[in-house]
Amino acid sequence: MTILAYLLIAGPLAGTVAAACGARARPAGWAGAVGAGVSLVAAIWLVIAQLHKAPLRGLDGFLYVDSLSCFFLLTVAAVTLLAAVGSVGYLTAEQEAGRLSAFQVRLYFVFFGLFAALMLASLETGNLGLLFVLIEASTLASAALVGLEGKPGSLEAAWKYVIISSLGVTIALAGTLFLFYSASGLHLAANLRLTWPDLFAHAHALAPASLRLGFLLAVVGYGTKVGLAPMHTWLPDAHAEAPSPASAMLSAALLNTGMYAIIRFLAIANVGLGGEFPRVVLLVFGFLSVVIGVLFMVRRRGMNFKRLFAYSSVEHMGIIAVALGFGGVLGLYGALLHTLNHAIAKAVLFLTSGDIAIRYKTRESGGVRGLIAAVPVTGAALLLGTFAVLGSPPFGLFLSELTIVRAGFAGASPVLPLLLLGLLAVAFIAFARTASGMVTGEPLTVSDGQATGRASPYRGRLTRLTAVAPVAAGLAVLLVLGLWIPGILNTVIMHSTAVL
Amino acid sequence: MQHLSATSAPGVLLDLSGVVILLLAFACLGSKLFNRYVAYYGAQSVVLSFAAGVAAYAFHSPELWALAVLTLAIKGIGIPVAARRLLIRRLDLKRDAALSTGLSTSLIAGGGLTAFAYLVTRPQLLPHGLVAAAVVPLSTAVILLGALAMVVRRHTVAQLIGWLIVENGVFLGAITLVATFPFIVEAGIFLDIVAGVMIMLVFVSGLTRQLASASAAELKELQG
Repeated sequence: MTILAYLLIAGPLAGTVAAACGARARPAGWAGAVGAGVSLVAAIWLVIAQLHKAPLRGLDGFLYVDSLSCFFLLTVAAVTLLAAVGSVGYLTAEQEAGRLSAFQVRLYFVFFGLFAALMLASLETGNLGLLFVLIEASTLASAALVGLEGKPGSLEAAWKYVIISSLGVTIALAGTLFLFYSASGLHLAANLRLTWPDLFAHAHALAPASLRLGFLLAVVGYGTKVGLAPMHTWLPDAHAEAPSPASAMLSAALLNTGMYAIIRFLAIANVGLGGEFPRVVLLVFGFLSVVIGVLFMVRRRGMNFKRLFAYSSVEHMGIIAVALGFGGVLGLYGALLHTLNHAIAKAVLFLTSGDIAIRYKTRESGGVRGLIAAVPVTGAALLLGTFAVLGSPPFGLFLSELTIVRAGFAGASPVLPLLLLGLLAVAFIAFARTASGMVTGEPLTVSDGQATGRASPYRGRLTRLTAVAPVAAGLAVLLVLGLWIPGILNTVIMHSTAVL
Repeated sequence: MQHLSATSAPGVLLDLSGVVILLLAFACLGSKLFNRYVAYYGAQSVVLSFAAGVAAYAFHSPELWALAVLTLAIKGIGIPVAARRLLIRRLDLKRDAALSTGLSTSLIAGGGLTAFAYLVTRPQLLPHGLVAAAVVPLSTAVILLGALAMVVRRHTVAQLIGWLIVENGVFLGAITLVATFPFIVEAGIFLDIVAGVMIMLVFVSGLTRQLASASAAELKELQG
């Protein structure tokens, strides 16, 4: 089993090694995709093998895989596979169009693999100090992806991303420090005072004042990575400027990794402080994020569509935080299910946005029209992806948002879930308005003086397939999750909620 | 031996180092020259490595000795030299004009933050009589001052230095709070800082080349 855990981390590094050895875009991309496939298989295997067993432990607590880790590993590995396959087509097309040099493409694959591996590793460690180290390292690896294009805009976004996230994660380290201190009365060995399962087992004996400060700092710090308002300011820029498959990784994998760290702290705080304080903290940050995300989605027509998707990520991360704040089995179940659904849906949307951006040579939604007539497959994917991410049935997000709202109504006051429903409705209108403007209407013609999107930017059938396959696969998964939750997934989520 | 009392000789030395580190953070906040930012940061790191050495002596911990040496080599010498060579000299940076408030205002705000740090950390968190009780408020104050410097200064190089000061503040807390983190974790934190500084150096010089002067105030193409 331990080998499986290592294999899971090592998988995406295949692309890194290939690119570092000088492979061109296509072989490096395929190496990364195969590696990501291996990771996903290992993750599924790990989930099944660990289903009714005690958590996997090793290396003095540095390795720790319980059902919560398994669930997040599954999510991140699935997203990595989608994005890795999407990278093959996107990067070769960009290189052939002359927008990226061979060196930049190689740089991309080196850091893409590193980024994925570091995130997977951070989900497998039980040591909260190492968790910080790995999350900060993944920030740095992804900053290189954000700034890849080297234009002033992308460098600016990368700078903003790296400085804000680094500051945030450093604050989380200070939080970890106070948690460490709160355990100093327990006479554990120094190493164990940072190990999550041991802290969790002794959570009721932790010094509350220090624990409260530690939890708050951790939520603010890791919340920066999650994109919780008001620490979200790096997020829209980074998502808009990164190459699209990298945006998919940021939105669908990185944000979830940050949320995972918050959940680990939440579990300890729930026991050590009683439920009230952590719940209020998460509800406040969660609702603020939903409001901010929705407000910016409403703001204007014709905005950069990747920016729109990014604000939708802020909104959805807020929803997950709210669900954690509602608490109870229902709330936690909804939060985790929503994490998985949102991850897949956002990966689909960002990969589609990459396809559109390559075809139309613009990222402004005003510059795209009549997509369904010009490129039916991409248009349909955007439309379906939009409805999926906005939570309409029969897609998975409908089910998870319903669960979360029900969890809210099970609580004391109906005001909060009603407020959430209202905000979701506004988000629906704002998002669908922009997306439908892109999908419908008269397709652009040559006389408009813009790219019409009809010409395929991909050479070769296999490359074209890499643009379509991950999107189709993601939509299929979302559809299945909306209709039926597999028994194994259900068990894993139930076991994970028991952790909290 | 896990706790140091505040009255023991190493305790006093640690306390004193903490105070000097805080003063250097104030000095950095009150300065306008890029040369000085780097010089104060370097000096702060040297004092920090001295503090780590004192803690290593008191706790008899070879790992802390290694950290003291690493701190001196990387933060005290490596990063300041690199910043001077690669940023300040090559980009010809002299006076920092991109301040959003006057120096006196930011110093007063810094004083307020220091008082706030004492208010939050001192009374409830830590048992009296331990050196940690004296140093943790200092380290919290250094963290807040670094963050303040990042907010007040809009030049990318100044923000980078601000982040490094925050990092020093966290580190000061880490070495005095009881024993220490496991060595792998500390080493990993170091590795992250080094990699972070390198990546930031690349971005700063790239941005500067393209924007003539890399003031984050001019970075406003991306809004909303």
